[in-house]
Amino acid sequence: MITRRRLLATSFLPFATGLSPFALAESRTPWRNWSGHLVSHPKGRFAPGSGSELADWLKVTDGAVRPVGAGHSFSPLVPTEGHLIVLDRLSGIISHDADTLEAEIHAGTRLSEAGVPLWQRGQAMFNLPDIDRQTIAGALATSTHGTGAGLKSLSGYVTGLQLVTPGGEILDLDRDHEFLPAAAVSLGALGIITRARFQNRKPFRLLTKTWVEETESVLANFKQYSTEWQHFEMMPLLHSDYSFVIAHKESDEPLLEPEQDDEDGFLALIDATPVALRGALINTLAAEIEPAISVQPSYQALTNLRFDRFNEMEYSVPANVGGDCLREILKAVIDNAVDVVIPLEYRVIEGDNTWLSMFTGGPRVSISVHRLASESYATLFDLVEPIFWKYGGRPHWGKVHTLGHEQLSELYPRFNDFVELQQQMDPEGRMLNPHLRKLFRRT
Amino acid sequence: MRKLTILLLLAISACSEPAEVVSESEIKAYAAVYRSAAVTPDVQEKWARTCALCHVNGQGGAPRLSDREEWQARLKKGSEVLMVSTVHGLNRMPPMGYCQDCELSDFAAMIKMMTGDDP
Repeated sequence: MITRRRLLATSFLPFATGLSPFALAESRTPWRNWSGHLVSHPKGRFAPGSGSELADWLKVTDGAVRPVGAGHSFSPLVPTEGHLIVLDRLSGIISHDADTLEAEIHAGTRLSEAGVPLWQRGQAMFNLPDIDRQTIAGALATSTHGTGAGLKSLSGYVTGLQLVTPGGEILDLDRDHEFLPAAAVSLGALGIITRARFQNRKPFRLLTKTWVEETESVLANFKQYSTEWQHFEMMPLLHSDYSFVIAHKESDEPLLEPEQDDEDGFLALIDATPVALRGALINTLAAEIEPAISVQPSYQALTNLRFDRFNEMEYSVPANVGGDCLREILKAVIDNAVDVVIPLEYRVIEGDNTWLSMFTGGPRVSISVHRLASESYATLFDLVEPIFWKYGGRPHWGKVHTLGHEQLSELYPRFNDFVELQQQMDPEGRMLNPHLRKLFRRT
Repeated sequence: MRKLTILLLLAISACSEPAEVVSESEIKAYAAVYRSAAVTPDVQEKWARTCALCHVNGQGGAPRLSDREEWQARLKKGSEVLMVSTVHGLNRMPPMGYCQDCELSDFAAMIKMMTGDDP
């Protein structure tokens, strides 16, 4: 438990020691996001061991606070010169119900640490995103998702959660609470989520098949593939006519580990090839790439550690215009000879009833573009973002975008309801940083 | 020909990261922090829930805690170099190694712990 005396001592330390503002910034431990392009110098960090400990801390402090999960967001949801609330100590399964197949999970739990304990309790999450180091809180705050027709983002499976308000009040929002659909995707702006209850299902194995196919063929068969395969996505190879395809379906077959790498530098070769020649090279080599099959528990098949760091832009567009949007992006990259190797991602997600999910109101497809963390992303992202807008795209809250209140309030039917609720729950604006003030038009 | 997942990994590891410019004052500050850092139960607890994710089983090519030879070779580059790598990230290790509540002194103590530079 932090005491008021200790807190005050901490807050006034810079003045007591006479450090200049410049020295102050350098003396603070910096915070950086996963890709490294977002940096801040928080006044302090607080890692509560319980919701009540967090509530007590919030009651005796003032100033800006921002929660942080794993730091995987590429949009500046976290940066603040106030305090960071770190959820790492709030980790693990709290309880489960074998009849309803629900489980309550601490919000700081990393997805990589939820799969096995849930399995041991006879449960599995319906769907998972592809990066397993993310926390439950971070994933919910940004409506993080996997892929699959009829499968929602993680926020769509929340049946209750605990929210600690900026003033230190603990709210338990159950499935019928009018604000649960707002809190289930809240950008960490209503307060700090400390635990969440999920509707799960019985454990299942997934047979995973990967192959390469012409992009136009995949688009033509997308509906059929998405029906045949429970989780289905394509990764168009830029400058070429082909896409990687990743598909999963439930299986009772014996476990079969994915084959280990024996890399031959295929894409390193592409990277070393002049942009104008890449299409021809990939189109020639694509036929040589063999399909691969594995069988794993769902939590291993769907999500894993992402090794190399990048920045990402992702928008979700209505499913019926997804193909056209993708084609226009692919063409723009070729027409502008953009030197990028990382494939796009094209996924499908079911609609939900949360206020700020990208998928509120109906199913959408998400299209993602990436740049290595070591590269400037401006050229590529500036090129494709207006294309997303043209197709009614909604930005992923945790990924790079440039939209503000005016555009967002047109994209989300309940956006202004959320802004109003945010003002009610956080009248002093403690949960806001400059990025969120821009989104919510709060000064 | 390689499998899909391999190709994707290759795609995002095809380029090496450029060295980030680090100020002399930052390096000096790290050296000072390192000298006074101590391994405590709190540091060990933070290490166990963050660094251990990769440094126990070597995920992503991370040097294993048990590989003393590897750590000694890294320590020879200078403790401040290891501090810079930790705070800024290096190759597959993200900045701060996923420890969001670590202070600089925590990182220094963890480096001492992993390199065996903690008599």
